[in-house]
Amino acid sequence: MEKVCVIGAGSTKYGKLQDSITDIALQASVEAIESAGIGPKQIQAGYISNVFGIADKQVHLGPVIMSNLGIPEVPSLSIESACGSGSVSFREAYANVAAGFYDVVLATGIEKVTHTGTEWTTTYFSYCSDFFYEGGDGASFPGLFASMARAYLAEFKATEEDLAMVAVKNHDNGLLNPKAHLRKKITIDDVLKSAVVASPLKLYDCCPFSDGASAVILCSEKFAKTHSKNYIEVIGSGRGGSPAALQGREHITTIPSTKIAAQAAYKMAGITPKDVDFAEVHDCFTIAELVDIEDLGFFEKGQAAQAVREGRTKLNADISINPSGGLKSKGHPIGATGIGQVAEVFDQLTGKAGERTVKDAKIGLTHNFGATGASCAVHIFKSV
Amino acid sequence: MLSKEEFINNAKIGKILARKCTKCGHPHLVTTYFCQNCGNKGFENIVIDGEGTVATYTIITVPPEGFEKAVPYAWVVMNVNNFELRISGFMANIKSPADLPLSTKVKITGYDEHGMIIEKQ
Repeated sequence: MEKVCVIGAGSTKYGKLQDSITDIALQASVEAIESAGIGPKQIQAGYISNVFGIADKQVHLGPVIMSNLGIPEVPSLSIESACGSGSVSFREAYANVAAGFYDVVLATGIEKVTHTGTEWTTTYFSYCSDFFYEGGDGASFPGLFASMARAYLAEFKATEEDLAMVAVKNHDNGLLNPKAHLRKKITIDDVLKSAVVASPLKLYDCCPFSDGASAVILCSEKFAKTHSKNYIEVIGSGRGGSPAALQGREHITTIPSTKIAAQAAYKMAGITPKDVDFAEVHDCFTIAELVDIEDLGFFEKGQAAQAVREGRTKLNADISINPSGGLKSKGHPIGATGIGQVAEVFDQLTGKAGERTVKDAKIGLTHNFGATGASCAVHIFKSV
Repeated sequence: MLSKEEFINNAKIGKILARKCTKCGHPHLVTTYFCQNCGNKGFENIVIDGEGTVATYTIITVPPEGFEKAVPYAWVVMNVNNFELRISGFMANIKSPADLPLSTKVKITGYDEHGMIIEKQ
């Protein structure tokens, strides 16, 4: 296999955006191409992740993006894997470069849903569950994670305040990220007093519905060495699956696909969780971050709440978790999130992260899953 | 008849139609085609009493389409008695966690426009 590098990244601001789904996809793609210092004609394939293009009247986004980048002849692949679409798309882009099919590819993730309103998004997101067993019985996405939360709090003697501390920490990080959706300092009290969405989760335990796009340029190491001075290397890539419905899992407080994907990625990279300096993890709800950082091996099972309480996951503490602000504060445009995580790692490891820089970081990890973790991808990167 | 229809018809009389692997005995819900444990395709249908205890749940206050009039309601994951099997469903009229402690005894009582209906025993 060829070694694969990321040589450029771009993102729109995440939030409520006015421009169309195609426009924001192109804005992020152009920024990534310019950041890489290449021209569009050097791109040999596009990997386009999106879930609800139908909401903005554009599916089959790949050829539209390629055409507007001036490369209509270049093949593209549209990928949907619920909230994990971006990382799954990145994996396909990575695998094709690693296999030697292409030297340079573009991976762009996009979502545009905020104009549809809460009822539409709550309903359509529920279609990402195992609908016959979950959404069809009235389970919303906050509801599914709330069910994990209730089980977790009971099993590990954690509290709703512990969940709130995750939100407070990620908002603190997001304040330092000019492209974050929710740039607002919050307190534990704000979280606890916010409206209940799906007990025990409250509004501030939930990430927002966001619009946004992110894009990265992947290439072979040979291409990176001859065309760029500012790049990072992909050293681990893992994927995994879980029973689609929560009821089918042996434990409700762990996500099997995260463990499978992480073990594969660590093995490929030849590292252990202790070697990771920072991680962008899938904190769609505060409970998810606690489960993630255990399943990724950063903390023992049941110890995450204590770690958060002690501040060990804050920016530049033991391990910086979600320096970007995470899905919670940076925002969650679901087709873009997995690519946005890679863009954050690129910025961190190439000295472009500004005030939210993780000091002396060499190794960053991205973790992004679909639905309640039915699908997952983990990637590990190192500075060059 | 489709397996989902049989499953729903059983739920309407408080039963769970499940499948037991003929090779390793592992129980599955009826929509499964191959055993998750051993990969075997052979199953025998079993009809289980729809009774059990609450494994976990949430109380939904921001509902998806079709559930607006039911708010607040619980979405419950239930441990089925005597089997390594869980099943989830809709429970009406749950307003606060005090209404439904974990491990409460519950049962399936029907299947309607809200899907699988679970009630307290």
